[in-house]
Amino acid sequence: MKIIDNMQVEKVGQTLWIKSGSETWSYDIADLSAEGQRRKKSNTATPDMILAPMPGKITKVFVKEGDSVAVGQALLVMEAMKMEYTLKSDLATTVETVSAKVNDQVQVGAVLVKLVKVESK
Amino acid sequence: MPKFSRVAIANRGEVAVRIIKACEELGLETVLLHSEADIHSRAFRMATHKVCIGPAATAESYLNIEANIQGAIAMGAQAVHPGFGFLSENADFAQRCEQAGLIFIGPSHQSIRTLGDKVSCKALAKKAGLPLVPGYEGADQTLQTLLKEVEVIGLPVIVKAAAGGGGRGMKLIRQMSEAAEQIESAQREAKSAFGSEIVFLEKYLDRAKHIEFQIFGDSTGKVMHLFDRECSVQRRHQKIIEEATSPSLTEDLRRKMGEVAVTLGTLGKYKGAGTVEFLLQDGQFYLLEVNTRLQVEHPVTEEVLGVDLVKMQILTAQDKFVWNDNEIRIPRGHSIECRIYAENSYMGGVPSTGLLGTVHWPEGPRRRYEFGFDKGDTITSHYDPMIAKAIVWDESRPRAIEKMIRVLKDSTVFGVHTNIPYLIEILSHPEFIDGTMTTRFIEKNFADGLKSKHVEADRKKLSQEVYKKFIAGGAGSGVTASAATTSENSPWLSHWRGI
Repeated sequence: MKIIDNMQVEKVGQTLWIKSGSETWSYDIADLSAEGQRRKKSNTATPDMILAPMPGKITKVFVKEGDSVAVGQALLVMEAMKMEYTLKSDLATTVETVSAKVNDQVQVGAVLVKLVKVESK
Repeated sequence: MPKFSRVAIANRGEVAVRIIKACEELGLETVLLHSEADIHSRAFRMATHKVCIGPAATAESYLNIEANIQGAIAMGAQAVHPGFGFLSENADFAQRCEQAGLIFIGPSHQSIRTLGDKVSCKALAKKAGLPLVPGYEGADQTLQTLLKEVEVIGLPVIVKAAAGGGGRGMKLIRQMSEAAEQIESAQREAKSAFGSEIVFLEKYLDRAKHIEFQIFGDSTGKVMHLFDRECSVQRRHQKIIEEATSPSLTEDLRRKMGEVAVTLGTLGKYKGAGTVEFLLQDGQFYLLEVNTRLQVEHPVTEEVLGVDLVKMQILTAQDKFVWNDNEIRIPRGHSIECRIYAENSYMGGVPSTGLLGTVHWPEGPRRRYEFGFDKGDTITSHYDPMIAKAIVWDESRPRAIEKMIRVLKDSTVFGVHTNIPYLIEILSHPEFIDGTMTTRFIEKNFADGLKSKHVEADRKKLSQEVYKKFIAGGAGSGVTASAATTSENSPWLSHWRGI
């Protein structure tokens, strides 16, 4: 760990961690170097892509391709650290593809369900 | 002659460390029964002996009764401490220990069956005329019956794992339309976390406080209580902040609830440390359940009473702990515990996993930290997200709150995100400060998690500047003492030790 301008700074894996006063935050190194930034596309909200918010296991899949879904409808359930998390739809649309099945171990950011794109409210 | 000299620990993380320390102080050797995933942990480094009992998945290791028994015997342990969670409230495990000639550090398997099983505990309490929450605890576990019972009890209703605890396998039903989904979800969580999918239903008291009493049965069977704790700050029924004693009890209520707790413990022939949980609403208290084990929040009781509950457990198992009638224990000052979870406060509390960087807990009088992992260890998604507990004591509740806020602000955890910012917000909330919070405090005030006060673009720009200086090497105003030892190497190489 280094102290830079009164901040605690440390590289852990490929992430830079910074603590300034009582606040701690981190960035991927790739986001901080000029080169990495060019490579990274702008991050816009994509409610039609249901992504794993954390690494974990899929415990239940409620929908299949072609199903119509309502806003707030549960699509699948995943488990991490012994807690269940229900992933819900933010759109009223139909299911385009389901790429997760029960008992899959998934990484954070993995695409689990793709919905047909519609304008969200 | 002590009854045993080597204790197996059927647990992991910070509680395993806590038990190892107590054993060391009593001159006992330890055997850590660990999974493949936990070889990079403090408990692994501290235990006298260790043996791998299975892969990371809890069903095959920490919840596997035979693997634990075989590991303990193979390593020459004569006693087993189950910690909390996992097999700690499993009567079959306690019984198997006894059959295998191992002393189970905890109540008898008969006591666990009577008091630990929520259904039979309620039956016992009902018979003794103790106050209970209305509910359903029948053997018929079909969805139809459970749905019908939900209607009989009246919404809102809470579904709980009969074998559970710690908020897992617990779901709240507010509308009939979500009842089936919630019941099934609770059953799955119960099965996964405790190996049993039996659930029961209870009327949900929506402005109640969670108050619990520490009970302790000595070697002779005499049960006393060690006063109360309040754990009303809960999220998804998982406790976050606990304190001793409760700011909400009058002396009259404290005496009455303490008597109920001791009555129930005595009826259940309780030995060792246990907790009787209550809900308190509108001046009425209701018996909730008994946890037949050490609690996560046991340190706050230890701090206000000056006792060591883990040592008391071990000594009781050795027939060496007897309550002294002449000793009057009175709680002094106030103690608060914060559970530090590996999760992102700014992203709705999603779990955060990964390699730990620097972990620093600020020293000071009456500040205590219970933690299971150091820099270089990895927090995985296999287990509970609680990575540490911070406990403080001070003369009064307001001072303890101030101290805890300071402690949290000065703590450093790199490598995983933590709920520290969330904890600071809770401790600063007027409802927490005046002590009126109920179990719905989080839902009411922090439903959406935290919003960062910072403009993302500004922070990123700052971070880019910092990163430039970081890679430039000798930047900044120098390195602190703790960092000096690593500065000879590349500063991040040290994270990779042991991998």
